Amino acid sequence: MDPTIQINELVPMVPIFKPDASEILRCYPYKMRYRNQEIEFTIFGMRHPTAKGKRMIHVFDMSDGINDYRIEFDAERLLWTLVSMVEGHDVRD
Amino acid sequence: MYGISKEEALIMHIDLNSAFATTEQQAHPHLRGKPMGVTNRISKECCVIAASYEAKALGIKVGMRRTEAMAICPEFVLLETDPPKYNAVYQKLIKIMQSYSDNIKMKSIDEGIIDFHGMQHILNGRSLEEIGYEIKQRVKDEIGDWMKINVGIGINRFLAKEAAGWHKPDGLDRLDHTNLIKYYKERKLTDLSGIAERYGARLNAYGIMTAMDFLKAPEYMLKKQVFKSINGTYWYQRLRGFEMDDHETSLGMVGRQWVVKDPSDKDSYLLPCLSFLCETTGMKLRYREVEARGVAVWVTYQNGEYWHQRRMHKSTFYTNQEIYRRALELFNQRPHGIVRTMGIYTYMLTPSQVSQLSMFDDITKVRNITKAVDEINDFYGTFTVYAGTSLEGKKIIKQKIPFGGTEYFELLLKTA
Repeated sequence: MDPTIQINELVPMVPIFKPDASEILRCYPYKMRYRNQEIEFTIFGMRHPTAKGKRMIHVFDMSDGINDYRIEFDAERLLWTLVSMVEGHDVRD
Repeated sequence: MYGISKEEALIMHIDLNSAFATTEQQAHPHLRGKPMGVTNRISKECCVIAASYEAKALGIKVGMRRTEAMAICPEFVLLETDPPKYNAVYQKLIKIMQSYSDNIKMKSIDEGIIDFHGMQHILNGRSLEEIGYEIKQRVKDEIGDWMKINVGIGINRFLAKEAAGWHKPDGLDRLDHTNLIKYYKERKLTDLSGIAERYGARLNAYGIMTAMDFLKAPEYMLKKQVFKSINGTYWYQRLRGFEMDDHETSLGMVGRQWVVKDPSDKDSYLLPCLSFLCETTGMKLRYREVEARGVAVWVTYQNGEYWHQRRMHKSTFYTNQEIYRRALELFNQRPHGIVRTMGIYTYMLTPSQVSQLSMFDDITKVRNITKAVDEINDFYGTFTVYAGTSLEGKKIIKQKIPFGGTEYFELLLKTA
């Protein structure tokens, strides 16, 4: 039914910033390490801001071409959290 | 021949169709092209509140129960709603629309109107069709490449909405005096926006079976016989392209309803939930800066029966505690039975008088406490501080996303 797997773990992350890119692709996670695996994101789903109290959180929906990942960046505490993932199939073609 | 308005089509209706489902497909690339939907809270009997185009093509409809949808398509994926995500799309859509005209009006979180009257000089000779295609591209560039919108251009709001729904998904159409008759000839009566089964049956009873029959019906007949009100005249004019819907509706009531998660007759289960509904009603009242004089409580039972009680008070009220106390008096009078849905609403609304000084200390104290709690909740997130009577209710009731109006979207996001 709901294929979402809740994770909620802080993860090592390499973000990317492109000063000349359009607003939606200016800054996003590039790759992360999760359970000793390096996962590189190849598809940008979307980014949306949200708030926890007055804390600004940026939510990124990313995909490595197989699985979808929900990643949150806490802009106040500078934390990257892998919130959940959805196992999928190869969508790169 | 039918007195159709010859005015230039300057109203643009933008409709982000299957908005929540398409937004989820945008966020989840692996769900693109698949039958999927969105619900408020996944449970055994939850309803599909938005379905993707792929799901709709299989016959899965909005309002269908999860079990029915799964029977049609066992691979159907259902996700829980994510209001901040939809708000991000909504805000970006507003931003795009506002870059063309200040005169925009959002009808709901997934559709809005741009009124180009008086804005012709800004168009620089471009047609509204060109603007429409540009907006479509901007939605893909600035929100996401999976997002699709329908654009309708019409001589009034009704026809602009009709045009937006003509060729779904991703359509762009214009409706004016040149093609309106052709359009009506292709439509069934209940295809028209605002004519659902009930109105359809009423029109059928007077021999109006098609959209063309509706157009041909005399104004007198619609007003005096079919609608038995001024609505008949409004429909007569609306169908011909005259503007009948450019007005603000006044706020009549504020409340909250809830489909009981586990239908029950026990006060220990229902009262904390009632208290929570009163808290959200109080929040909405203060958000809209109004106070109420009347309160009503209603209940539907497992056996299909309905109970309703309302009471008008001499003085106005706006705090959560006052609403709960008044609602509880009514709720305790309900007949015994297993409650399936329950709701509360406040009415006889007047502008808030909170800013006025009071002669009485106790009133000032209540105001100050309410203000302090609202400020804490505003800073740290809604329901950081709330009544002990709502403790269990808050665990059970999930905040839902609003359909129709967008008045409480900002308020909702604080709780999301």
